[in-house]
Amino acid sequence: MAVTFKDKIESDRFLVCGELGPPQSCKGDVIRKKSVHFKNRVDAVNITDNQTAIVRLSSIASAKILMDQNIEPIIQMTCRDRNRIAIQSDLLGAAALGIRNVLCLTGDHQKFGNHPEARGVFDMDSIQLIATVTGMNKGEFLSGDPIKTKPAFCIGAAANPFAEPLEMRLIRLYKKVMAGAHFIQTQAVFDVEQFIRWMDRVRALGLSEKTAILAGVMPVKSVNALLHMQKEVPGVRISQEYISRLKNASDPKEEGIKIAVEIIQIIRSIKGIRGIHLMPVMWESITPVIIQESGLYQ
Amino acid sequence: MPNQLVTPEIKNLSPRERKFSRFILFFEDLIKVPVFQCQKCGECILSSTGFTCCQRCPKRLRNGPCGGTGEDGSCEVYSDRKCIWFLIHQRSKWLGRLTLLYDIKRIHNWNLEKTSAWLNIFWKRIDPPVLFLSRKQRQRKIHGSDIQR
Repeated sequence: MAVTFKDKIESDRFLVCGELGPPQSCKGDVIRKKSVHFKNRVDAVNITDNQTAIVRLSSIASAKILMDQNIEPIIQMTCRDRNRIAIQSDLLGAAALGIRNVLCLTGDHQKFGNHPEARGVFDMDSIQLIATVTGMNKGEFLSGDPIKTKPAFCIGAAANPFAEPLEMRLIRLYKKVMAGAHFIQTQAVFDVEQFIRWMDRVRALGLSEKTAILAGVMPVKSVNALLHMQKEVPGVRISQEYISRLKNASDPKEEGIKIAVEIIQIIRSIKGIRGIHLMPVMWESITPVIIQESGLYQ
Repeated sequence: MPNQLVTPEIKNLSPRERKFSRFILFFEDLIKVPVFQCQKCGECILSSTGFTCCQRCPKRLRNGPCGGTGEDGSCEVYSDRKCIWFLIHQRSKWLGRLTLLYDIKRIHNWNLEKTSAWLNIFWKRIDPPVLFLSRKQRQRKIHGSDIQR
């Protein structure tokens, strides 16, 4: 891992990030097995942090397993489960293990998970978390105490170009970049026109020069997965065209790959986009296929 | 940045001051609870959130909505409620206070929970409210080039 993800951001390559969901058990081999799909194909792999509030193997531990396979991980850090003490402690631990990238998220509400009765912490929000990590990079805890050996995290953040109120999304993106986000990963793009409109405004604000924007791409297996997303996942906008195409396809899997590749081709032509973030939910094996089909194979 | 990020605990209150704070809080609640559905965080930022209490958000977000606001502006957690940040955006726009939303709000100091925000402002424990905006402030243009690295 001579070239880090941060170096890649600073270069002008088109970046590809993968995503890996840790298992709901302590079987580390699951991660080792899944890592085959990413090796030498992607620039970094996101590891989700108890996504949709369902208990899973910890993000930092999974990252360590992935690093042993020579793959650069991006850990996700949510504010749902940790207060400021735990967040800073976990970040120090991650840095000590050699993890260099962290994606700062507020986190899904615990009501959506398998422990809906849990107490949500939300001691800070994603923007404040980004600012906290920036402070730690500069050698200072939130309390103002100095950190003797300071971490050097590459800080990521999320953005949703599709949820209302749209103007507020740009304000939040501005704040995230101001707080020190080096790269931004967006929500899955299923409405290309809206995404292009959003990018126009991002460029007009001058934010795409200050941060690397990676567009989210989610390949889906079936029309049911798409309809489920539309219904259950808030803040996702899906173009009707894709729904009808998947519904009428003889092989929905093949069609799902085709749609994802098409979306990638359009995204690549948008000015100011620095890469894509491939996030097939529990379908990691499709990552190399899509990279191959869309001609991103390095 | 971190020092500006947290509201510092400036001094501990004496028992007398604490009693006084509770007394003032009673009257503060009489107004703020029915009018704003105040959640008594003690670190009031009502003036910069379109006079809508952001602590009504299930995630208690102080810097803007999470990614789950519905197309009709509904909250992702309780679909029968409006996303509070949807309302804040609407009202801020209406009041010409949108520029105030561009500032990063401090991380909440939980020691201020259930204390009188009015007294906290008076005692300079928290930032003073922005009651009036000059025309220049209203028309503040935001651009990425302002961001220092």
